[in-house]
Amino acid sequence: MKFRSERDALVEMLATAGRAVGSRTTSSPVLSGLLLSCVGNTLSVTGTDLDLTIVVTEEVIGIDDGSCVVPARLSTDIVRRLEPGAVTFSTSDDNITISAARSNFKLRTYPVVEFPTVGRTNEPTTQLPEMLLAEAVRQVVRAASHDDARPLLTGVLLSRVDGSIRMVATDSYRMAMRDLPGTDVISGEGDLLVPARALAELQRLPSGTISDKAETSRVGVAASSNEITFWQGNVQISTRLLEGRYPDYNQLIPDHYPNRLHLGKETFLAALRRVQLLVRDNTTPVRLSMRQGGVDLTVVSQEVGDASESVDGDFTGEDLVIAFNPSYLIDGVEAVQGDEVIVETADGSRAATVRGFEDDQFRYLLMPVRVS
Amino acid sequence: MGEIPTILHVDMDAFYASVEVLDDPTLAGQPVIVGGAGARGVVASCTYEARAYGVRSAMPSLRARQLCPQAIFLPGRHGRYAEISGQLHQILGDITPMVEPIGLDEAFLDIAGALRLLGPPELIARHLRQRVRDELSLDCAVGIGRSKMIAKLASRAAKPRVSRAGLEPGLGVVMVGSDTELEFLHGHDVEALWGVGPATAKRLHELGVQTVGDLAALPVDTVVRRLGQASGVHLSALARGEDPDPVTPNRPAKSIGHEETFSQDLVDPSELERHVLRMAESVATMLRGASSSARTVTVKVKLKDLSLHTRSHTLGRAISTGGAIGRVAAALLGGIDPGEGVRLLGVSASGLLEGGGDQLSFDLGDGQADGTQSATSHEQSWQDVTAAVDAIRNRFGRASVGSVAMVNEDGVQVPARRDAPWGPS
Repeated sequence: MKFRSERDALVEMLATAGRAVGSRTTSSPVLSGLLLSCVGNTLSVTGTDLDLTIVVTEEVIGIDDGSCVVPARLSTDIVRRLEPGAVTFSTSDDNITISAARSNFKLRTYPVVEFPTVGRTNEPTTQLPEMLLAEAVRQVVRAASHDDARPLLTGVLLSRVDGSIRMVATDSYRMAMRDLPGTDVISGEGDLLVPARALAELQRLPSGTISDKAETSRVGVAASSNEITFWQGNVQISTRLLEGRYPDYNQLIPDHYPNRLHLGKETFLAALRRVQLLVRDNTTPVRLSMRQGGVDLTVVSQEVGDASESVDGDFTGEDLVIAFNPSYLIDGVEAVQGDEVIVETADGSRAATVRGFEDDQFRYLLMPVRVS
Repeated sequence: MGEIPTILHVDMDAFYASVEVLDDPTLAGQPVIVGGAGARGVVASCTYEARAYGVRSAMPSLRARQLCPQAIFLPGRHGRYAEISGQLHQILGDITPMVEPIGLDEAFLDIAGALRLLGPPELIARHLRQRVRDELSLDCAVGIGRSKMIAKLASRAAKPRVSRAGLEPGLGVVMVGSDTELEFLHGHDVEALWGVGPATAKRLHELGVQTVGDLAALPVDTVVRRLGQASGVHLSALARGEDPDPVTPNRPAKSIGHEETFSQDLVDPSELERHVLRMAESVATMLRGASSSARTVTVKVKLKDLSLHTRSHTLGRAISTGGAIGRVAAALLGGIDPGEGVRLLGVSASGLLEGGGDQLSFDLGDGQADGTQSATSHEQSWQDVTAAVDAIRNRFGRASVGSVAMVNEDGVQVPARRDAPWGPS
């Protein structure tokens, strides 16, 4: 195998595929490598940890067809440090030589036959508008759990509701839910539980290149009973689906709220971020005293001091005090689209809802912090 | 770094026992012991008259009684001690806001900021001692040093001494200057260093280390090999007079706990569990009283053979209800083999979160299935119950309401901190 390409293009490819390479030491050393395959003028780079697989495909100047497995981190670091300009990869026996300008690196490679054959789905079965998907992922992924002790909650549920896709995530303290009206249902086995990590990677990718205009770009999707694959631009992300019954989230959604607070999103966010400065251990709550004409925010941190802010807004209902984990609340307000945010509450110990004004597609449920 | 020592350690002389004598002058000159008088009680405090017989704090009461059969045993009045402690801290607070209380009867002060106003450290210490005597009619010892450790050792050197010959009044104030600091420190037995308990002392003795000076002379590597990294490095530094721990005013409590020594060893697992649940309830009440919640629950068990076993579990979120703490504690208890019997049982909560924040969570119906504790709606309703129980107890007294685990033939038994804190009487 031998090919040549620009340094910056190669760094991008290696680093993107490398994100699927697990940092933990795996039983199989070949998993710390990236599979490079050159056919004609097309190079594909594959990284995997067996759960998540990322394949990046790009045009290069192909000289000899072939493939090899290179150490992921080392080869990425080497290419990144090279002088800008053309970089040549060429294999000989069990080695790969990376050369550019006056630099030459000869690295040992892993046997290609040992590299797992994962994430090789052929064709997308559904196309989703890229902007819509990206926005939905941004709004929902934040509520997924990072706690491996609750594996189901580390996933984002993709279900079909009224003929379109609904995305749901919860870490049991908050829940984000987004409907994608007008989307085709992903053909497959009904509800899919996609690891949030895969969607977060999808979110990090540069905008697709299928079309020049981002608004019309589409993301290809194909799902089977145990795997889902996304195609965005020149990148293909596949992930194993999580198995198990996702909790019944519908029963968490209150059908009626007596209190409703209507605020300007940016003003509210800025105030929350200011009072949050006093939070030290990420467990100090922010208290919201809702009253006619707006809300007062207070953070009392015994070690540091205290802060308070008032934000003007419309409030209907009974005056009430409710406290939240400030980061969770900020997460919810940030996720709202548009300039206005609605906070609906029942009382100090039941779930509140954060959503946009006249926006029925997204809602963020948040459990309060009980304070005495 | 300051050459002038500015850290004061104030330590009341025989505090609880002295308060008892103060309130009942007929006790003056008598051997008085405050503590649990029962078979398993321990001495919390004793007068110098009792010390003359060899009685010491933390000694089993049985042993104390053997040494001094004529001693007067008193159960202790926590509320009264706390009241006088409050007056003491008012005096300390007049000198500097930099006061770090240690228990009711001890405190560290950093007077660096008060020197210009109040004069040199020794003068401040003497005035302080005089004020305590004038206003509280109690004595205290004051140690002055460049670090908390030196100050503490200095206050000990300032204490009155007892021998068979009788009571020898102490110096009251001892200041250890930076020039004599190492000489002073190195003369002490290693046991004088913080963090050197019997086990560590034994290991050090095996290295031929008797005094702090011996320890300071050893290469750090040698100590680390013997005691492990953290402890070795820490103790070596202390032995060289390096104690960077600053005086921290109002250091928040690190844990809240409740433990009891039983008058008879317990073997029945269901009985043990009942006690653990009861103690969890009491810990939860104290937590809520302090507007706190905790992430870590620890169960401590001392067996008949005196071996000590502790098990802890840290949750992903903070809890403050008796039910939640009890569930974790009962599970931890299940992991300990009671062997021939349990002598002492304790439940404590640590990883405390200030402000009483208790992050509620959805009832996803999977809390237990996932193997983690989650605040289910079940638990939330328990939180409501708990709040109601607290309110009823505030109004009608502690024994007015309780969980089934607290009920016996005599009605509702609610443990409280002040009930026989030093063992059954």
